[in-house]
Amino acid sequence: MSKMVRKASVAEILNHWVLAISCILLSISGFGFLFKIEFIGSLFGGFNLMKTIHNWVGVVFSVSLFFSMFNWLKDSLAFDSDDIGWIKVAGGYLSHKVKVPPMGKLNTGQKFYYVALLFFGMAISISGYIIWLLPGSRNWVLISHLLHNISFDILMIAIPVHMYLASIANPGTFRIMISGTVPLEWAKKKHPKWIEEAKLD
Amino acid sequence: MARYGLLISPELCIGCRACQVACKSWNQLPADKTKNLGGYENPSDLTPHLYNKIHYVEVPSDKSPMRWLFVSQRCMHCDDAGCMKICPSPGALFKTKEGAVAYNKDKCIGCKLCVAGCPFNVPRFDEKDKVTKCNLCSDRISNNLPPACAKTCPTGAIKYGERESLISSAQKVGYEKLYGKADLGGLGALYAFKDAPKLYDMVENPAIPETVIFWHNVLKPLAYVGLGGVVAASLLHYFVIGPHKDEKEVGKHE
Ligand code: HEM
Ligand code: SF4
Ligand code: SF4
Repeated sequence: MSKMVRKASVAEILNHWVLAISCILLSISGFGFLFKIEFIGSLFGGFNLMKTIHNWVGVVFSVSLFFSMFNWLKDSLAFDSDDIGWIKVAGGYLSHKVKVPPMGKLNTGQKFYYVALLFFGMAISISGYIIWLLPGSRNWVLISHLLHNISFDILMIAIPVHMYLASIANPGTFRIMISGTVPLEWAKKKHPKWIEEAKLD
Repeated sequence: MARYGLLISPELCIGCRACQVACKSWNQLPADKTKNLGGYENPSDLTPHLYNKIHYVEVPSDKSPMRWLFVSQRCMHCDDAGCMKICPSPGALFKTKEGAVAYNKDKCIGCKLCVAGCPFNVPRFDEKDKVTKCNLCSDRISNNLPPACAKTCPTGAIKYGERESLISSAQKVGYEKLYGKADLGGLGALYAFKDAPKLYDMVENPAIPETVIFWHNVLKPLAYVGLGGVVAASLLHYFVIGPHKDEKEVGKHE
């Protein structure tokens, strides 16, 4: 057996799954509202119940998004010149022949993803609370409705990309959100600066 | 089926409010406690128990200190209805075969988005937070009876009928431009105004809020085009370029 290193704490794994499951429930019910899909309504026990579920799962989502800052914000804001190199080779996703600059604990794409998720997650949460708690205040609701839906569109593009890249596009990544550990050899290849700085070698 | 509607003629209205009472009576709506605000209009706005209200507009006059204009305020039964566009619950608001915008309280989820979508500030909410408003007495009109307000009006200031024939009858007596003839795809409630609509406290050029139109035309389609697009792009990437092979390479080193 090769030596394993811990990349995600138990708190991070828990935080991730609460965030992900609440977000998926919100997205499915959101699509139900957006296109008035009877079938989705019936999955949630009718549209009345779906509204209650959507609102309260929204609370779970926004609270877990808040806690995610303690887990991922610091690493996500650690940009340096290697990130520019990463962007230039598109993270090595468009060709396997290019050389990708060494990455820290998170790669450039992961950092962008978290910052976007935090920003639009906050936007969709705040606008959601306004639609929920200030019903009938026309101007507040109109601007929130717009913001809720712009954020929804962006999240519906960003989240599937994240799911793809964190699973089948990068074999060996998914286990980080299950056991939290990865082989040292794998980590050295994918996140050399992290192994170096944290002296995990 | 032909579209039905109301023709409202403030010139014929004597402000008796029989329509207001008849509406409450047919729809079994309780009285509202109101305040004396120094005018004859009462209540001062539509309420969850008041679907049709005579608005008393006081305007300057040459002969006397002021002149009254009486306008029936209510749901306009828009063809392109903002309330229906924004409503997230199927069947909560719907069009009857006569063209009335009616509602089903069981389907309404009480989110009040319709208030934001309506250009006329019409939807109100009952004790259970369910939508209420004029539904053109859809239970009456589906049985070929005129709405309670039109049935009661003693002067013909509120007339119910086929929308096209209402328009031509108004044109015959000189109302070339009817308020609501073309707005929002044509309103179900047409108004024969002698002066500018503003004088009658009516919204000039009513329109669905631009953010709602943008949401409907751009953001809604983008939600599934975007999601479908990235799913397709991911699959394409997986099969054309392929995943990172680090795992295998790591294995080789071991
Ligand atoms: C990933 C997170 C979320 C997604 C994907 C999402 C998605 C959506 C979508 C697509 C709609 C339909 C919009 C429309 O019909 O115009 C909607 C409606 C709504 N959302 Fe969210 N939402 C999320 C988070 C939240 C949060 C955190 C709250 C607040 C607690 C919230 C509250 C609402 C409310 C109140 C509505 C209006 C319809 C209703 O009352 O159910 N949402 N959401
Ligand atoms: S309050 Fe009821 S009728 Fe109004 S938009 Fe919400 S579900 Fe539709
Ligand atoms: S007036 Fe308002 S409530 Fe009535 S149909 Fe038009 S948008 Fe809907």
